[in-house]
Amino acid sequence: MNIQFKKGVLELCVLAILHKKNCYGYELVHDISNSFAISEGTIYPLLSRLKSEGFVTTYLEESQEGPPRKYYQLTKTGKLFYNELKQEWITFIAGVNNIIKEGELIE
Amino acid sequence: MNRNEFLNSLKSQLIKIPESERADILYDYNEHFTIGIKEGRKESEIAASLGNPSVIAKEINANHMINKAEQSYNLTNTFSALLAIFGLGFLNLVFVLGPFMGIVGTLFALLVSGIAIAISGIALIIAPFLANIIPNLENYLSIHPAVLITSGIGLIAFGILWIIGFSYLIKLFYQLTIKYLKLNLNIILNRRNQND
Repeated sequence: MNIQFKKGVLELCVLAILHKKNCYGYELVHDISNSFAISEGTIYPLLSRLKSEGFVTTYLEESQEGPPRKYYQLTKTGKLFYNELKQEWITFIAGVNNIIKEGELIE
Repeated sequence: MNRNEFLNSLKSQLIKIPESERADILYDYNEHFTIGIKEGRKESEIAASLGNPSVIAKEINANHMINKAEQSYNLTNTFSALLAIFGLGFLNLVFVLGPFMGIVGTLFALLVSGIAIAISGIALIIAPFLANIIPNLENYLSIHPAVLITSGIGLIAFGILWIIGFSYLIKLFYQLTIKYLKLNLNIILNRRNQND
């Protein structure tokens, strides 16, 4: 898949998954990898940026295996930001799809 | 590269990040290794998939400096942010820093001249009173004291307006600089991901 596509939507994907459930970093990488391949290193700088911007917070939770895991959770402003970004995305792909469809008609 | 090498390398390059924040970042990567190993992956394999620690550190540092500059308006922070971005090897030091310093210098000089105008107003107001103390000053003051005092007040008001005006301009320039740095950071990061 085109790298530029991925780069743009990774933030939206992370927010969408965190909107559904709180996650630890590895879990996020794993969940996204189910849909498309990502480079694992890109997720943590993204998470720490979202954290410094106040869109997510973290807390530690004990796990049966090994040390406690760091969970990421959406904040109120994070939820608002997610909804905004999602709306933008929907409008955007509708526009792109329209253009593609028009192109198909000519063929 | 094994787990310790990766984490030590990352840690040593994040010295400018406050201790608590650095520990927080390292916790993530350490956890990633722990879980990955539990899933049966090799340390070297996980390190490779995470990418080069220097690249990760540079990205974190640049982000940190920009955030800092954004949160508190001061020249040192802006400067650190500029330097952090230069560290990413995108902006040309001379071409950006030259004009940047030039504009900062000009704005500062204009601000100081506002202060000078206000002070000269004060001087005009107190001049008639000084005339009583300093004997020969009277000869130079052929202007009526009332005129001196009113023009003095006028000059002070003008100086203050001047200072306020340029303070706004400086703030605006500051915000534009931060925006420009952010834009550059985004371009750099996009390029890097394209090269991966």
